[in-house]
Amino acid sequence: MSSNKNKKYWKNLADLNPLNNNAIESLEQKEFIEEIPVDEFLGDDKSMSESSTTRRDFLKFVGFSTAAASLAACEGPVIKSIPYVVQPEEIIPGVANYYATTIANGYDFANVLIKTREGRPIKIEKNKLAPISASANARVQASVLDLYDSFRLAKPFKNQEESSWIEFNNDTKKKLNLLRNSSKSIVFLTQTFASPSTYKLIKEFKENYPNTKHIVYDAISESAALDAYQAKYGIRGLANYDFSKSDFILSVGADILGDWQGGGFDSNYGKSRIPIKGKMSRHVHFEANMSLTGANADNRYPTNQNDQKLVLLSIYSKLFNKISEIKLSDKLTTVVNNLMSELLLSKNPVVVSGIQDFDYQSLVLEINQKLNSEAFQPNKTILTRQGNDKDVEKLIIDMNNDKVGAIIMSGVNPVYTLSNSNSFIEGLKKTELSVLFSMKNDETAQYVSYLAASPHYLESWGDAEMTKGEYSITQPTIRPIFDTKQFQEILLLWNNNSTTFHDYLKSNWKKNILSVKTWNEALHDGIYENKKSTNSRSSFISKKNNSFASISSLASAIEVKPENTFELNLYSKTGMGDGQCANNPWLQEFPDPITRTTWDNYLTISEADAKNLNLYLEPSTFFNQSKNGADGGLNGKYAIITLDDRELKVPVMIQPGQAKGTVGLSFGYGRKRGIKEVMMTGVSGYELFKGSNSVQSIKITATDEIHEFACVQLHNTLMGRGDIIKETNLEIFNTKDSNVWNPEAVVSLNHEETPVSSPSVDLWDEFDRSIGHHFNLSIDLNACTGCGACVIACHAENNVPVVGKSEIRKSRDMHWLRIDRYYSSEDSFESDDIKKDNISGLGSSLSTFKEMEDPSENPQVAFQPIMCQHCNHAPCETVCPVAATTHGRQGQNQMTYNRCVGTRYCANNCPYKVRRFNWFLYNENDEFDYHMNDDLGRMVLNPDVTVRSRGVMEKCSFCIQTTQAVILKAKVEGRPVSKGEFNDSCACSAACSSGAMRFGDINEEESPISSLIKDDRAYHLLDTVGTKPNVVYQVKVRNNKNS
Amino acid sequence: MASHYEAPIRRPLVTGEKSYHDVSVDIARPVEGQANKQWWIVFSLALLAFLWGIGCMVYTISTGIGVWGLNKTVGWAWDITNFVWWVGIGHAGTLISAVLLIFRQKWRMAINRSAEAMTIFSVIQAGLFPVIHMGRPWLAYWVLPIPNQFGSLWVNFNSPLLWDVFAISTYLSVSLVFWWTGLLPDFAMIRDRAVRPFQKKIYSLLSFGWSGRAKDWQRFEEVSLVLAGLATPLVLSVHTIVSFDFATSVIPGWHTTIFPPYFVAGAIFSGFAMVNTLLIIMRKVCNLEDYITVQHIELMNIVIMITGSIVGVAYITELFIAWYSGVEYEQYAFLNRATGPYAWAYWMMMSCNVFSPQFMWFKRLRTSIMFSFFISIVVNVGMWFERFVIIVTSLHRDYLPSSWTMFSPTFVEIGIFIGTIGFFFVLFLLYARTFPVIAQAEVKTILKSSGEKYKKLRDSGESLVGTGADKRTSKISIIKTNK
Repeated sequence: MSSNKNKKYWKNLADLNPLNNNAIESLEQKEFIEEIPVDEFLGDDKSMSESSTTRRDFLKFVGFSTAAASLAACEGPVIKSIPYVVQPEEIIPGVANYYATTIANGYDFANVLIKTREGRPIKIEKNKLAPISASANARVQASVLDLYDSFRLAKPFKNQEESSWIEFNNDTKKKLNLLRNSSKSIVFLTQTFASPSTYKLIKEFKENYPNTKHIVYDAISESAALDAYQAKYGIRGLANYDFSKSDFILSVGADILGDWQGGGFDSNYGKSRIPIKGKMSRHVHFEANMSLTGANADNRYPTNQNDQKLVLLSIYSKLFNKISEIKLSDKLTTVVNNLMSELLLSKNPVVVSGIQDFDYQSLVLEINQKLNSEAFQPNKTILTRQGNDKDVEKLIIDMNNDKVGAIIMSGVNPVYTLSNSNSFIEGLKKTELSVLFSMKNDETAQYVSYLAASPHYLESWGDAEMTKGEYSITQPTIRPIFDTKQFQEILLLWNNNSTTFHDYLKSNWKKNILSVKTWNEALHDGIYENKKSTNSRSSFISKKNNSFASISSLASAIEVKPENTFELNLYSKTGMGDGQCANNPWLQEFPDPITRTTWDNYLTISEADAKNLNLYLEPSTFFNQSKNGADGGLNGKYAIITLDDRELKVPVMIQPGQAKGTVGLSFGYGRKRGIKEVMMTGVSGYELFKGSNSVQSIKITATDEIHEFACVQLHNTLMGRGDIIKETNLEIFNTKDSNVWNPEAVVSLNHEETPVSSPSVDLWDEFDRSIGHHFNLSIDLNACTGCGACVIACHAENNVPVVGKSEIRKSRDMHWLRIDRYYSSEDSFESDDIKKDNISGLGSSLSTFKEMEDPSENPQVAFQPIMCQHCNHAPCETVCPVAATTHGRQGQNQMTYNRCVGTRYCANNCPYKVRRFNWFLYNENDEFDYHMNDDLGRMVLNPDVTVRSRGVMEKCSFCIQTTQAVILKAKVEGRPVSKGEFNDSCACSAACSSGAMRFGDINEEESPISSLIKDDRAYHLLDTVGTKPNVVYQVKVRNNKNS
Repeated sequence: MASHYEAPIRRPLVTGEKSYHDVSVDIARPVEGQANKQWWIVFSLALLAFLWGIGCMVYTISTGIGVWGLNKTVGWAWDITNFVWWVGIGHAGTLISAVLLIFRQKWRMAINRSAEAMTIFSVIQAGLFPVIHMGRPWLAYWVLPIPNQFGSLWVNFNSPLLWDVFAISTYLSVSLVFWWTGLLPDFAMIRDRAVRPFQKKIYSLLSFGWSGRAKDWQRFEEVSLVLAGLATPLVLSVHTIVSFDFATSVIPGWHTTIFPPYFVAGAIFSGFAMVNTLLIIMRKVCNLEDYITVQHIELMNIVIMITGSIVGVAYITELFIAWYSGVEYEQYAFLNRATGPYAWAYWMMMSCNVFSPQFMWFKRLRTSIMFSFFISIVVNVGMWFERFVIIVTSLHRDYLPSSWTMFSPTFVEIGIFIGTIGFFFVLFLLYARTFPVIAQAEVKTILKSSGEKYKKLRDSGESLVGTGADKRTSKISIIKTNK
């Protein structure tokens, strides 16, 4: 311590040596050794005064920059969400509300239930109270997305310029009043509304403006059948058929599972196809194109229309014992003879036809009247098609002759759908007032003076009488998104009626329709059946016959096909219908049930004809990519088809089962206006729809140009793998033990054959699954028609992304649920299996498997819906390194998106190939400009299901959000889940109208699923692999006969 | 080392009149000298390829795996093909250094250093693929069993992909340690020769303070033997586990019990071929013909021939078992492999891997440098196709014909593959200029027994006493003048 006291600390030598310390002292007084030139700086008044930055400014700058930098660094993305200031009465956030309503867009008519979340309609469901015939098909399922279409009209337009409703109302009313007393007529050209209230409004308008005509126009016409029915029964409508009651269905060119006579027959058809007590219906089909109906038929005969006519004529003449000379080929004669004997032996046979000809349609009505089957129900008149081709043709002539003063169109797009649209456009220009009620600025919209922006049906009021006496209500499920007004509101205005359409509708129903139920009850149900207004069957069945041409004159009138021409059969595709939904990405990406091709239409042609015309592409090899690209993508040649002076360049698709000498082309594609450019796919079949006749005689010339298809299934045959789609014949099914036609796979255990389901050959310890819920899904391959409603329902429920044509072509479709379609390579799948089993030796296997890759000329067809099989021993679960896919307690194979790192090992190891990988970011990505990329389209997303990011695997979840909702609801209500609550809660089974898909809890006694899994027909897909799936298929039973 | 005696009929492993000092000088020469023009050209090309590969990887990671040609059916193609290919190539190093050490095969000494370098560099390439093939590579660390805060999340020990993670990382670390241990005396040699201080500093760091004491040598020998013992099972385990990726799956063509031995044989096959490719060039460029002699190449060719034949037997066994199994999916998978749309790849594999090594039965061919080089390339092409065939042809047509499709690569995956080749050569070329490319310390131990000079001396009956001294290093002149 003491030493420290004396210690001297020095900083420099001068400090140490204190001899001369003046300098040090003076230095120590200063902070800085040198003078700071403050004066030099501040003293320079001139430069100080010239400087514009004052000290205060400087401080301001510093302050601002600091604040700005810290603010910019702190603020996150702002997502605006607006809370309910006043809680709406019915809306509980997170709980869905359902409203019954009706779609009636002139092509699709269905009673539906709309699921809304927080005021947004997000999904279409089946209205279980509604008659089964009016259930939602794939297009209806997808229609909710049309509501959120960014290409919808947001305002009325006048002469292609934005206008207002006030201007629209004033102008149109003024013009209509001017026309009231002129010699020119006012014409309504509308879709089939089948709406009592709308028709009443038009009637009232007519009273006001006596020179008014109402012309109904169906883009895809059923005019001939309507004429025949009208002539016989006096109502403009169509005969109804309940195929569930029929045991023998003979269809001559009638696409009864498609849009034939308004569609909606598939659910009853599906019912009759399930073998119950050894009985199921038998379906024989004659057609030119391979349709969904033909694919489901027990026996299918590819025939051109001339032969179809002859078949009908010979059936007629045999049934009525009329002797006439019908030049039917020998083969078809034996077929018809055999069919006749079956027809007469059957209890409830029906004959239906799609030939667009008054005489033949009358003939069919007469045949059915004679057969007098329960399935034939002419009294339940179908009113969803009421168009009249002759009226439309006359209108065009009148317009061109300056006889039409005003044309008011609603629900139609004649410039697109008319084959002679040029003369329509010319006529349109001659009218003084042309108004179009439309949701889009479509092909017709560009030629009209007033374009009225219409609301979507989910924003509208309305009603419909689809079949006689069965009424349904359309109610809005969301406030109109845009400044739109529906046709009926404007009609009220023109009628000087100041009530709202809602009130008008209500009073009309109360006065004229409702008798038992109240308006609120009817509105709740969405449907109302007025028994009084239905007709009795007996009065209809005894109606006298139409007078039509004699059999011999009809037979001789059949024109022989000119040399070098082809019979073109125009048809409507399952996904696109008449084309009004062409801007719907779900439907564009919906694989056609038959060709499995998306984003396109094409000319279907038989292989033989394609080879003759040089339209055939050889199978690809490594050196030559012809039929398929290097990535497998399907190619087709372009052909030029000529009809009169029209030429159309179309890609060609080889279609097994296409009748030789015929080709097919679908409507609904080739849209040019009012839709996104990526949606302008395919070519328009309407251009060849001359005289609204779906059969035309055309010439075809081949080109060398190649078209690239986006087809999701590149291999068409089953390769003799009969255990994938097990099938049998009704006779074997009824007579033999199920071990014969549905054998379980066995493995060898100590040289004894042991079933693969036996625990003794199991690699794993079985988990007790008898406690709690255990979900299974049963798919009946007999009832499934392949219609694809489930595909779209799944798409909508689970926020499945749309990926576009080029990605689909690369086999990157994202569908969680797909419907595989196989063609037989021999005449039947059975012969395929036999052929494969007979392979012996290497040479034979090489040649046989090569042959089996090609479908037969007229193949058998099988459909198989495939989604995640939710294997109890899932191969995907064991291989995931991060345990992102695991097994749920209720049987689901679960996918944890958050945990997935995206190795794709699970997808590789999936024997069913149901896993889908997010190759890119599909939402909020400009590269994928579909609904997930715009603010409006995103409103359709289901808030209960995560939108997946890129790099993760996804797949069917058994709609766990819906089963979980059931469980939570029961929990909140403090009760166990009640019986049947889980039934069909999956989106796919809920959408299935034919009863092919049944979902439920197998631990619930008496649930349909618990008996279905024990059914003799039940089998697991690829049971040899030992995956123990929770999806069970029911063996397909065919009711085919060799003739 | 027990004795300097080796049977006269054995051909010398070091040719030329090499003294101990010659060995040091020859091996230090590439490190001490300047790079020539060819080196710069090759290096620039490799660097360019590497950069291109980086570009493609960045594109993939920023955009999505969709920029590759994969699809819903074929979820792996070039990525895992390249992974297995590089892992396979990485096999020769450990086999040469560990297994041949245990079997006391002295010819390994000339090649083990480069073979091990090749191993490490190719395992680095291989390790890239499992990461970049992931959809979300930024979460790649989730495959490691790291205690985490995500809840009770843990890795799935059932997954062969996880076993891969362990197998590859173990292999890489053991190989690296083994390699570095062997490098210590050689780095010390370069350190001792270095004249520039920077170089001296670096090499003294790299040599971990090797002093050359007897104790150092004793420990060196012990560690080498222990590591060789550890590494030997890895030779078998790594590719066995890689093969489990496929063998434990349910996909016909993957689900095969023969895979482990077949993959190991294939890996040794391709590894030796790659060693041949590299060393045939290196011995020329670095003037190492006296150390890596034609005899070495011939021996490697024999290994290639044998493993190639094993692989061939495996291919045929696969076909036989497919037929014998009676399982239709299995039968079709192999029929499709050999005759389907990817038959060209199968026959490419067959001809490169099974037929081409059979030429090595002829001594003239297996001692021909040019021919060996050619075959080594062919074998590696063939082995790449083997993996492509296994992965793609099994996947593209599996159980349900509805999902059957084809696969075609895009420029991105090709670019990444080229990039890894570039990366590999960048590393190898840098190695060739900075590392002692031959285990000179070990070579020196066999110089008296197997060096040509000493063999001749001994054969002529002369004493070897004092012959190791060199006038350039030794001041005491006891060098015998000739005769």
